[in-house]
Amino acid sequence: MSLRAIRSHPLRSALTTLGVLIGVAAVISLVILGASLQAEVIDEVGGEDATQIYLWNAPEDAQGPPGSGARAVFTESDIDELRGINGVEGVAPYAPIGVDSLGHGGDTVAGGDTIATDPSYFAEEAIAEGRAFEQGEPEIVLTPQAAEGFDEEPAVGDQVTITFDDGSEAELTVVGILDSSEARSPFDGFGEGSRLYVPTEPYSRTTTESVGDEQRVYAQVVVSAEGPETVESVGVDLEEYLETESDAATLLPGGFVFEIQTNEELLEQVNDLLATLTGFITGIALISLLVGSIGIANVMLVSVTERTREIGIMKTVGAQNRDVLQLFLTEAAILGLLGAAAGALVGFAGGYIATQFIELPFVAPLEWAIIAVCVGIFVGIVAGLYPAWSAARTDPIDALRYE
Amino acid sequence: MDATGEEPAVVLDGVTKTYRLGEPIDALSSVSLSVPNGSYTAIMGPSGSGKSTLMNLVGCLDRPTDGRVLVDGRDVGALSERDRTALRGRTVGFVFQTFNLMPRLSALENVSLPLVFQGVSRRKRRERAGELLSRVGLGERTDHRPNQLSGGQRQRVAIARALVADPAIVLADEPTGNLDTGTGDEVLELFCELHGEGRTIVVVTHERDVAEHAERIVHVLDGEIEGIETLGAHRPVGTET
Ligand SMILES: Nc1ncnc2c1ncn2[C@@H]1O[C@H](COP(=O)(O)OP(=O)(O)OP(=O)(O)O)[C@@H](O)[C@H]1O
Ligand SMILES: [Mg+2]
Repeated sequence: MSLRAIRSHPLRSALTTLGVLIGVAAVISLVILGASLQAEVIDEVGGEDATQIYLWNAPEDAQGPPGSGARAVFTESDIDELRGINGVEGVAPYAPIGVDSLGHGGDTVAGGDTIATDPSYFAEEAIAEGRAFEQGEPEIVLTPQAAEGFDEEPAVGDQVTITFDDGSEAELTVVGILDSSEARSPFDGFGEGSRLYVPTEPYSRTTTESVGDEQRVYAQVVVSAEGPETVESVGVDLEEYLETESDAATLLPGGFVFEIQTNEELLEQVNDLLATLTGFITGIALISLLVGSIGIANVMLVSVTERTREIGIMKTVGAQNRDVLQLFLTEAAILGLLGAAAGALVGFAGGYIATQFIELPFVAPLEWAIIAVCVGIFVGIVAGLYPAWSAARTDPIDALRYE
Repeated sequence: MDATGEEPAVVLDGVTKTYRLGEPIDALSSVSLSVPNGSYTAIMGPSGSGKSTLMNLVGCLDRPTDGRVLVDGRDVGALSERDRTALRGRTVGFVFQTFNLMPRLSALENVSLPLVFQGVSRRKRRERAGELLSRVGLGERTDHRPNQLSGGQRQRVAIARALVADPAIVLADEPTGNLDTGTGDEVLELFCELHGEGRTIVVVTHERDVAEHAERIVHVLDGEIEGIETLGAHRPVGTET
């Protein structure tokens, strides 16, 4: 009978559930985003990444992802010094360079992200085909996604023509294709991408003459420790060197500080971010569920008034107060359930689209669908309590007199 | 219980019902009446004389302001709302002048409604409601909704609903008021049949003609019983005097 009442006012019922629908949809899509982000970070922090230390600089108190706002202060001689620190396996400067386009076999595509770095940036097992480039050689390593950008996919050994944003061109040999297009460090950003990697010698062109001879200078550096257990001590030594003897300390602009971050810290940061996000989600959820429950309560009150006569009839033929209460609570619960179920669907769709859009892996926390449905029923029942109670209290004689 | 061991179906003992809207109105004042088991009683009186008020009390829909109402031996005024509702559902079948059917439910669902609240299974409900609809001559109309039925058919659905829980007492407030003579007669015939089955029947009417089908007529005026008229032989329906 509750269902029949809902079906007899489809538009009104649909509008009623809108509040709950929007709330649940917002919460679920945000939860999916959060879970997907977390999955991505955990994925990256796993394995080899656990030994990596990211080094950059930023204005004091700056907020932002690793590497943002960094100035080129780490010189080639700093990099050499860092390589000498006990427990360091490799040091890879990281320098995005401007590339207009990339040509292969008569086909030209936009440059994508091109990074000048050191072969130690790649773990051996990360190269699916070929090898890492060598310093000083005209060689290039591509992510699979970069290779797929061409009609005719470049293979190991092929020549590609790279056009820098100053208009100069260079012929490079493809020496390696990576095993995945995933970001290899937080400097790469998140997710899959079309990325090109070339050696810093000769392609990184930012230099300084302020300290000693003219030499290359970098804004970001990836240091690999020999093992996860040495990460901490390397971090301490690194910081000490940078603060005291480095060229970087001389070059660092006023108000800037060194940022040294391990993956563990990065994970913590993401977790902090997620905690903030969770607070935000809870806020949205509460507000929209409140709005939703007011909507349901309102429609239920109208519905009770409208059906005063029917309530009277039911009571004259022997309906107890609790029967009437149950009837209206069921109706409210169904409204809440419908809103939550539709909201869950919309939320999952929204979360999926959002994760595809920002290229995160899609993680669907299914338990949230169940939570949403339970919350929907709960909100419906809470919202329906007063209207149902006032229906149950209706005096049959008064109700039958009601026109 | 009286001397014969036969307990009356309904006893009103000095019943007063006062409505307080502004100045109090005594819709009934000190009414005493005994309705024997298996009797057929008509209640007559001008508009506003308190007939519906009386029926609501007998039907356990309302409580007296003063005095006692005994239905099936139980003091309605002393019962909790819950017990009063249960007594109403099981003992009394009410037929209203305005039918009072549920507009969204089919004839069959309307008839089975009282059984829903008595926890009867769906299958049994449908079976029993189907039987009663056939009995009132609506076996072919079970899936029609009230707005798809004529006035007389609606009244018969309402009677079927009043009977579905097999009540000992059947109350009808102006059951023929909205019907033409022909369909009215069919309805009255049904009441005679029910009386024949041993049920207690109380019918409110303002038509002498309708009242004469009963065994006795209670005349009400200004909230008081003016007199009780006992009729002789039971007059068959459809014959004019
Ligand atoms: N709920 C109520 N509140 C106030 N007064 C009421 C109420 N119900 C009935 N009355 C009053 O009680 C008196 C008796 O009403 P009742 O409905 O019993 O009359 P009736 O004999 O059934 O009349 P009719 O033949 O017109 O149906 C009337 O004066 C009416 O105004
Ligand atoms: Mg009346």
